[in-house]
Amino acid sequence: MDPTFRNLIWRQGLWQNNPGLVQLLGLCPLLAVTTTAVNGLGLGLATIFVLVCSNLAVSLLRSTLQPEVRIPAFVLIIATTVTVVDLSLQAWWHDLSRTLGIFVPLIVTNCTILARAEAFASRQPPISALHDGLAQGIGFALVLIALGAGRELIGQGTVFADADLLLGPWAEGLTLQLMPEGWGLLLAMLPPGAFIGLGLMVALRQYLIQRPAAVNITDEMDTQTARA
Amino acid sequence: MSLKRWKPALALIAVGLLAATILAGLDRLTRDRIALEQERRALAALTELLPAERFDNELVSDWFEHPVAGLERPVRIYRARLDDQPSAAVLDLITSRGYSGDIRLLVAIEPDWTIIGVRVLEHRETPGLGDRIEIRRSDWIRQFDGASLRRPIPEAWAPDRRGGQFDTLTNATITTGAITDAVRLSLEAAESLDEALWATEPDTQALEIPPDLSQNP
Repeated sequence: MDPTFRNLIWRQGLWQNNPGLVQLLGLCPLLAVTTTAVNGLGLGLATIFVLVCSNLAVSLLRSTLQPEVRIPAFVLIIATTVTVVDLSLQAWWHDLSRTLGIFVPLIVTNCTILARAEAFASRQPPISALHDGLAQGIGFALVLIALGAGRELIGQGTVFADADLLLGPWAEGLTLQLMPEGWGLLLAMLPPGAFIGLGLMVALRQYLIQRPAAVNITDEMDTQTARA
Repeated sequence: MSLKRWKPALALIAVGLLAATILAGLDRLTRDRIALEQERRALAALTELLPAERFDNELVSDWFEHPVAGLERPVRIYRARLDDQPSAAVLDLITSRGYSGDIRLLVAIEPDWTIIGVRVLEHRETPGLGDRIEIRRSDWIRQFDGASLRRPIPEAWAPDRRGGQFDTLTNATITTGAITDAVRLSLEAAESLDEALWATEPDTQALEIPPDLSQNP
């Protein structure tokens, strides 16, 4: 696989075309789940897995599936992958599924996955689709973690509280109490806090892009046009 | 009609069959394990309230369902017995009066109708506020230990915001009220059943796993 193309895929997923900050896809799970950094991490990991699997499956089947039936087939593939993840978690990682249980089915509502299947995986060989799934998934997961950490810090004064529920007993020490005990701004925990937090992150990204020089803006517009 | 026209449909059918096969196989592979894990978890929650030396019967299958006025769904009552003598009852109940939906509680009661302990199994209350009903977040739920319908007196069986005796969690008045009321209702239900609580035959579908809220987001 061409290294420049691979780098482009990763740059797109992590920054230039980040599913959370630029495409603004998958807002339903993104806003609903990110009350804490650990929740964000959990949904992020599950999303990465589903995205990689569905991208691979779609890419492998891309010559078999005619355009007329591709969308139902993609939906079927995605739903199957999510169910496989859900059942496997319940059977073999039961405690983890207790924590992630409600998030896993939410992945079905994440349009990022359908968008990547349609826009990328259905036109590219499996190896590129694999890279794209990883890059987009990690980009999405990073937004989830950042938003979760921010809301958790403002909402209850900690970061990475309850990490042991997701990662096992060793992670208990990860919890950082950054604000005095009893600190809490309810707004950050409620849905409006999620919208405000995401809005601030999008604004920050726009600021960082526009700051250096006009050159980068044109680059950005080029990629946007190319995508459209 | 030419074969070409049918090709898309056939491809879709093939994908559907493949998906169905994978899911059916995985379901076969995981079904027993999942049932086992859920049973283990239900038992773990029960034994957290009741130490193993308090009962020697098949606690997980010795239950019946009983409708309770004030609760939308019937309460599942587990009977713990030691040497065939009643040693405790555990009520598995769901109240829908929470701030954001259902709260599932386990209430363990002595044969003399005082509370051994209360635990929240599942809930969707606001993180940081209502979730302090969980034992791992605060000791609030322990204030019911040792309570009964005579201690405190009936008028005091309410959160202190409503003139009762139980502490109200700050910014979680509705959650607090829902749990306090549900605990009182379960005590009343148990006492009014009296001897019948121990004598009622277990429901037949004894190995069915209690409905799991976390499976229905």
